[in-house]
Amino acid sequence: MLITENLGKKYGDFSAVENLNLEVKEGSIFGFLGHNGAGKTTTISILTTLILPTSGRASIGGYDVVKDNLKVRNLIGYLPENVTLYGDLSAVENLRFFGKLSGVKNVDASIDDTLKLLEFNEWKNRKVKTYSKGMRQRIGIAQAILHNPKILFLDEPTSGLDPQGTKELRDILLMLNRERGTTIFMNTHLLSEVTKLCTDIGIISKGKLLLADSIKNIEKEFPEEKSLEEIYFKIEGGAI
Amino acid sequence: MNGIVTLAQKEAKSAFRDHIFLLITGLFVLLSVISVYIGSSTKNAELQAYHDIVQLLKSQGITSLPSPPVIYPLSVLSNLISYVSMIGSVVAIFLGFESFSGERNNGTLKLIATRPIYRDQIVSGKLLGGGMVIGSLLGVILIFNLVLFILVSGMTPNTSEILRLFSFFLIAFVYMMVFYIATMFVSLKTNDSAFGFMLMMIIWLAISFVLPQLADSQRSFAYALSAAAQTVTQVPSDTVVSKMIELFSPAAQFQSIGKDLLQVIPETADINLGGLLLKQIGGLIEIVIPGLAVLLLSYRAAQKEEVI
Repeated sequence: MLITENLGKKYGDFSAVENLNLEVKEGSIFGFLGHNGAGKTTTISILTTLILPTSGRASIGGYDVVKDNLKVRNLIGYLPENVTLYGDLSAVENLRFFGKLSGVKNVDASIDDTLKLLEFNEWKNRKVKTYSKGMRQRIGIAQAILHNPKILFLDEPTSGLDPQGTKELRDILLMLNRERGTTIFMNTHLLSEVTKLCTDIGIISKGKLLLADSIKNIEKEFPEEKSLEEIYFKIEGGAI
Repeated sequence: MNGIVTLAQKEAKSAFRDHIFLLITGLFVLLSVISVYIGSSTKNAELQAYHDIVQLLKSQGITSLPSPPVIYPLSVLSNLISYVSMIGSVVAIFLGFESFSGERNNGTLKLIATRPIYRDQIVSGKLLGGGMVIGSLLGVILIFNLVLFILVSGMTPNTSEILRLFSFFLIAFVYMMVFYIATMFVSLKTNDSAFGFMLMMIIWLAISFVLPQLADSQRSFAYALSAAAQTVTQVPSDTVVSKMIELFSPAAQFQSIGKDLLQVIPETADINLGGLLLKQIGGLIEIVIPGLAVLLLSYRAAQKEEVI
């Protein structure tokens, strides 16, 4: 579903991402782990066609993220960190706008289906600025899945959510993966979430990929470590 | 094309739900309506005064009567020139100052940019949206003013005057769009909406007040020098320097064109529209060219990564 080959992004002399080689399988939930400033958001920005790589290449569903960027955009859904949407518009109006931009044919039917799926029908006509953080995040997910993307990119999706909101979001993502077969690529630094949600992980530090594999394989590879947290700090520590 | 229209509709919807924008717009409409009412009433009073004098002179047996005052109907709407020049440009600035920086700050620009549309379509969508709002605003003002003008003054503009009026509103639209485009460009280049707004207000002050006043001062100065040299003209007139200063002020150009179109200047009040526009072609270019230049810069700036 997603492949990067020696992907890199430089800002002047600073390498935000360096020689990144990743493969994310269809139907998996991939957790991309790293400290703040490790290069997670830069990577997701390249993959979602927001910025151009300075070296290497990346493809999604067989399409190059640079040369075929419009085709890639048809395959992806994206929820950036701390997105507030249009506060003066209702959830339905926000979704109608993003649905039309995505070229969804029967946009109102898609909105109905999506809001039912996310159990949000009750509040759909209220202005978004009146929503709690958790509700806004749910509408954020709704705009990202409205056009039924093959792969969903989430940047720190649980940031700012309370434990209840975090659990609800996790349940939604698991349901999307299970029922729609959506591949999920998630930037996070919350190891507890990764353990509960992801099938595969990648660890990035200072722009370099330290490790990428399924959680099962990683646990086998580090038999002495009792948890993913211990594995993460061992790998991260080694890198530093 | 669908993406552009979708973006434009969203822009218009958001603008008409913004209370401060609606307040400024309401003020704009109200002032224009009041000015037409006052202008029409004043002209009516002038005509009434003339008729009273004629009646009085006739009752005294005087046969040599003064000629009736020449009233150019569109001059009743002359205050619109100042309102568009001053408040209209502020409305355009208010409409555009968050067009990109606001979207960037609330994260929605990333959501738009990951949809299957090109970056230049985002600029075109914003441009069309701004145009729809400014166009409908001027349309409402045109209809209100025309109806009120006919009702209060009792005069019906002829075809030529209606064409002049439509041309004035078309040029007012272009003038406001220049401010909208300039503000959109500033919004593309800065993350700080408040800074962008302040910067545009400073530019607005310079264009609308400082430069025209500098030009006026220069004209007065040249007049004073002429007077001292006893080569005095009756009124301070344009000089090379004052024209050079006004070259940098689209507001001065707009006011000059507006005065000609709305029959404020008696010398040009009877010229046909084609001739008038030809006379003002330089001023029209000075309004349009900066707008086009900044629009091209906006399309270029939208391609850059840091915009997102």
